[in-house]
Amino acid sequence: MHKRLFLVTLGGLLLVAGCGKKEETAGEPATKTPRPEDVFKTEAAGGAGLKVAMIPKRKGIDYFNATQVGAEEAAKELGVELDFDGPVEASVDKQIELIDSFITRKFDLLAVSPNDPDAIAPILQRARDQGVHVLTWDADANAEASGREFFVDQASPESIGYTLVDVMAREAGPDAKTVIITGSLTAANQNEWMKWMKKRMQEDYPKMEVLTTKPSEEDPQLARQVTQDVLTAYDDLDGIFAITSVAFPGAATALEKSGRAGKVALTGLSSPKTMRKWVDNGTVKTVVLWNPVDLGYLTIYAAKALCAGTLKPGATQVEAGRLGTKPVEGDRVVLGEPMLFTKENIGKFDF
Amino acid sequence: MTGASLWRRQEVALAGLLGVTVVVMSLLSPDFLTARNLLSMPQFFVEPGLIALAMAFAIITGGIDLSVGSIMALVAVALGLAWKRLGLPLPLATVVALLVGGLAGLLNGAVITRLGIPPLMVTLATMAGYRGLAIGLSRGQPVSGFPGAFRGFWSRELHLSADVVTHAQLFLFIALAIVAGVLLWRTVLGRHVYAVGHNEVAARYAGVNVDLIRLGIYAMLGLIAALAAVIAVARVNTAKADTVGVGMELEVITGCVLGGIDIQGGRGTILGAVLGVLIIKAVTRGLELAGVGSEFVMLVTGLLLVAAVVASQVARRGRVVEVAE
Repeated sequence: MHKRLFLVTLGGLLLVAGCGKKEETAGEPATKTPRPEDVFKTEAAGGAGLKVAMIPKRKGIDYFNATQVGAEEAAKELGVELDFDGPVEASVDKQIELIDSFITRKFDLLAVSPNDPDAIAPILQRARDQGVHVLTWDADANAEASGREFFVDQASPESIGYTLVDVMAREAGPDAKTVIITGSLTAANQNEWMKWMKKRMQEDYPKMEVLTTKPSEEDPQLARQVTQDVLTAYDDLDGIFAITSVAFPGAATALEKSGRAGKVALTGLSSPKTMRKWVDNGTVKTVVLWNPVDLGYLTIYAAKALCAGTLKPGATQVEAGRLGTKPVEGDRVVLGEPMLFTKENIGKFDF
Repeated sequence: MTGASLWRRQEVALAGLLGVTVVVMSLLSPDFLTARNLLSMPQFFVEPGLIALAMAFAIITGGIDLSVGSIMALVAVALGLAWKRLGLPLPLATVVALLVGGLAGLLNGAVITRLGIPPLMVTLATMAGYRGLAIGLSRGQPVSGFPGAFRGFWSRELHLSADVVTHAQLFLFIALAIVAGVLLWRTVLGRHVYAVGHNEVAARYAGVNVDLIRLGIYAMLGLIAALAAVIAVARVNTAKADTVGVGMELEVITGCVLGGIDIQGGRGTILGAVLGVLIIKAVTRGLELAGVGSEFVMLVTGLLLVAAVVASQVARRGRVVEVAE
């Protein structure tokens, strides 16, 4: 008897799951109805009927929610059927399973922000083998191993490095003595940014100095600690670069406590929502980042162009709705210059 | 009612539940009940499925192993380092990696049996310890670019037609499932495993070498987790300490419990464990294909586990009443 109960309970639960889904389908018929032509892909020339899956590193955080807003805006303008879904934690394994489902559902294009550039490559290659277009955005996959066609890049490492140094020169002077607080000494993107920062200093601000570079290992506690240390060690310090989203708030906390805010300039990369309280109280004047809403928006325009055949190897620009046209450099579609968030505009951004 | 017939009824119930799952999911998505989909699922089923085979033994003895995902990470790192840093040929590096997994499991078993610490505590500690060790040894750096021969051996794609792909590791899983099933169901060793779970003290008095059985089970768990790790590395062509095997313990234990293995020991079968993992994978996959969003998928799998635990408690109470009567 109890065994039957076991079956009935679980079976009932599944049916509940089923009903829940049906209600949802009724709610939004335009995006969720099973596709009509079944197995065969609608080879969409114009963009209408195009099925695009956009897979963030993880769902439910401000940054990716903002990219979803932009993506949905573009999908509406273009009549693209968009499914924005990613794992609930930043797991590359869950992304792989999800991508395999999208391949099975015969989506026309997958746009992925991979949690791991190498581990994601085999499944993206399989998508390509089955005729599915593949873009990366926000973070790139191993280009060769994955066979991805284009990377929608939020801002080139060059422009990020240059902008950080320009901001510092404006706030602490072109001859500022600075330190860099980075994530880890082996992180490829951070090292790339630092390379361009140093190039900008050599070329445009030859008197600007980097006294030391300290890792903070994406640990808020350590970021606070190393900031305290450099503030104690260098009495004549003029500025601090904190170039990860974890290092920046950590450094801001330490600088605020030290009482040298205002005398020591602090800038870096992090989300405006995280940094807002330090911008409001004057510890930080400028936060550097890109606009994730525009990144999501551009990704969908690039997706449509790729499926329509206008974005192809050798293309130099892509049409992107309200953003105008955006440059294509090799296999990168570039959103553009990083954005600066200051006291004037920071309150307007919810990411 | 005899124990044997009880188990058989449980598996019939589970098979029925799997059937219900398939029907519901194929109603939700036209893609579910297609050769293309069903044959693509084994690539994600085999790794938790393999570990569930060994986990079933541990849970039936009243134990558990939370460290399997971390053992996978340690094995992946050992494989990457033995190949890339020590320069061993890949087949030899693979053997080294499998041994590392076996040793990690053996260490779990030794601490559990020699020091008498509950498996939950021991493997909770090594769950953190083994992954920490893996991250430390590799400094968080991935090893990638494994040769095609290695990938083809451990994670072979079988192209049945232009867009139907399946995975050869499925056959390895089936073979090992049969071995595990026969071992538990048909041998003296299997009966001893149940005896340990029913009543450890009584088993000891009956002359069962309880410690040896438990030691062997945890060592085997380590070895099987290592096998799953090698397959996982071949599948994603990357060995990285903080991605391989993350959350694996939860997936496997959930499958075992859903499959009717009593978390307090003494009851359960290999077939049940396999069906449990299959049901979870089918539900996850079906809801993914229906495009309901990953939060909802997580919610349903969570509810499914709660229901399984409740059902198994109700079953347990019913059984106690029957025995009393």
